[in-house]
Amino acid sequence: MQKRKWLALTLSLAMAFTAAGCGNSGGTTDTPAKDDGGGSVSADTEKGQSEVSEPSGGNGEATEITLWTYPIGKWGDAATVDGLIASFNEAHPEISVTVEYLDYTNGDDQVNTAIEGGQAPDVIMEGPERLVANWGARGVMVDLSDLWTDDAKAAIYDSVENACQNAEGVFYEYPLCMTTHTMAVNREMFEAADALQYLDEEKGTWTTEGFVNAVKALYDSGQTNVAAVYCGGQGGDQGTRALINNLYGGTFTNPEHTEYTANSPENVKALELLKDMDGINFDASIQGGDEIQLFCNGTLAMAFCWNVAQEANNAESINFDVIPMAFPTESGEPKLCGGIWGFGVFDNGDEAKIAAAKTFIDFMANDETQVVESVKASTYWPVKDLGNIYEGNDLMGEYAKFIPFMGDYYQVVSGWAEARTAWWNMLQQIGTGAEPATAAEEFVTTANQAASGS
Amino acid sequence: MKKKNSMSRALVMRETVAGYAFMLPSLVFFIGFVIYPMIQCIITSFFDSTMNRDDIFIGFQNYIEMFHDSVFLGALKNTFIIVVVSVPIVCIFSLWAATVIYDLKGPVCSIFRCIFYLPVVTGSVAVTVVWKWMFNNYYGIFNYVGTHTGILNQNINWLGDERFALGCVILILLTTSVGQPIVLYVSALSNVDQSLVEAAEVDGATRFQCFWKIKWAQIMPTTLYILIITMINSFQCFALIQLLTSGGPNHSTDTIMYYIYYNAFKLYRYGYGNAMGVVLAVIIAVLSAVQFKLAKTD
Repeated sequence: MQKRKWLALTLSLAMAFTAAGCGNSGGTTDTPAKDDGGGSVSADTEKGQSEVSEPSGGNGEATEITLWTYPIGKWGDAATVDGLIASFNEAHPEISVTVEYLDYTNGDDQVNTAIEGGQAPDVIMEGPERLVANWGARGVMVDLSDLWTDDAKAAIYDSVENACQNAEGVFYEYPLCMTTHTMAVNREMFEAADALQYLDEEKGTWTTEGFVNAVKALYDSGQTNVAAVYCGGQGGDQGTRALINNLYGGTFTNPEHTEYTANSPENVKALELLKDMDGINFDASIQGGDEIQLFCNGTLAMAFCWNVAQEANNAESINFDVIPMAFPTESGEPKLCGGIWGFGVFDNGDEAKIAAAKTFIDFMANDETQVVESVKASTYWPVKDLGNIYEGNDLMGEYAKFIPFMGDYYQVVSGWAEARTAWWNMLQQIGTGAEPATAAEEFVTTANQAASGS
Repeated sequence: MKKKNSMSRALVMRETVAGYAFMLPSLVFFIGFVIYPMIQCIITSFFDSTMNRDDIFIGFQNYIEMFHDSVFLGALKNTFIIVVVSVPIVCIFSLWAATVIYDLKGPVCSIFRCIFYLPVVTGSVAVTVVWKWMFNNYYGIFNYVGTHTGILNQNINWLGDERFALGCVILILLTTSVGQPIVLYVSALSNVDQSLVEAAEVDGATRFQCFWKIKWAQIMPTTLYILIITMINSFQCFALIQLLTSGGPNHSTDTIMYYIYYNAFKLYRYGYGNAMGVVLAVIIAVLSAVQFKLAKTD
């Protein structure tokens, strides 16, 4: 009996200490488990030629860095990213890269939790609205000015360069690819409603008047759900912003990106127009992703949340001809919301890792042969002139015509996270009867308070 | 006599040490994951705390702001509605279901237990996706059946209309909440002393009297436990809101938990989020204490 008690005591103590030991991860460089179980590529430890600093672990060891990437085209696909990292390791065997794949539903929370827990990744791939306006503004990112050489500045488009830095000129992002977000229409439905006449298919543009007439024609033809101003959350909200801003030439912020201007008469007029149109639903039960599904399965005749990746990714489920279109304008000169994606480096206090992270970025975005593959993996376009990298790809050729319509990249304005929430809340209010002018005024008040930090 | 006392003390000491030793693993986790975060939560609630900046002590400012924040007050109201509606329904329905199935033959009872428990063990994301599909404004089964049977004149945007959204959330919450209470009640009813019931029946007690005077009294501890866990689960309703409505439309489905998440994780207002967490914990503690007190009086 005595022996049994002591055995139990010893076992319980062992369990306690084992459990405590398991909970102590201090000092290790392990990253969280991957969603899909793949994506980790490690270099062998053979010492290679590199400009990066020696790893903190000692001479001859690989510097281990972690890359967290959002699903930017096939940068969210483990097989594709493995291939890219294998190429990197051929050139830089002294750096080992572990990848974790984020999604847009929980990705931000995962990153924020990691930052607070001192386990932020070394490299992250996303857009300036997160890297510059969010984490950069909070001082947790590394200044990448040394990657922005004069040659890089000369090569990369000015609008992209402006988006990758804060107001003080500190670069928190080194860009890789870009696209313009468009809308799309269902050719068969438009044809049946005799609404194709309102589209300039060659240029990919149409007028506000043409849009109004097309919606009316579709509605009268029996298509009661022509389109949805989705506002169930922030997913795909660039579509609703672009639609409202373009209809009568409104803007979302001032040119300096210091103040929200969505309550301008042009925007209010656009909101009033949409609210009064038969066939346009202000739908608080769906977000951008849901709207895409409704468009792809033929429920809606138009999608406001669209770009080339949507057509490529949904090709199998679409059984009609998609016509990508710019958002309608009075002037015929649309200003589309852009998407810019690139790399940022978290300041984890380890100079060797920071140097290795910069080497990784430099290789992916600047190496002459690699950059084309890196951009192609994104399924978007390069941020500098690399020639026609999609030679013979009809789909990319079709969507390339929208690149010149890229408008101001205002997503770097302060208070962005709160403003995004306020935006879809505003649309919900209008959808349930609020006056557009009042709702827009309330939105701007909330957003500007967030922007000023008060 | 003295020797006997000292032996007894040694025995007590040994038993105590063994008891604490067995508790130690759980205690480590309890302190690390419950007590320490609770203390941190209370402390942080008195600070203006955000990412990568030193905390600023602001006293009760977060608490004052909270009770002037219309969104928080709305979330508080919605949370109470969820609790007030779901707790009685869950308890009454699960008690009724358990009384019906507990004396069924073994396999049949097990099948019913599995059916009711299935939503509990199914991932909340999967459950939510299915419900979202059923509530869909354009092709959901509720609208399909409703319009085809003439019950509805036109499709209802169940999750996009503030008149229905909270009700839809409560309905889903009910389906995921009844499983565990049913299993607990079945178990509790099976443990009721049958000799007392039989004696009462011999004395002429009706079925209702047998239930009310004998079974109900004996399953009271289970009822109390079910009331408290259902109340806590209802107060902490979060995943459904995040996955279904994001608090909309027009904040009609905001709950305290979702608003805490929004402030802490989206706006990086850790102090404010923690202050709301403290208030939520106090509310739950007070209501739990009231329930204990009432149950004890009974």
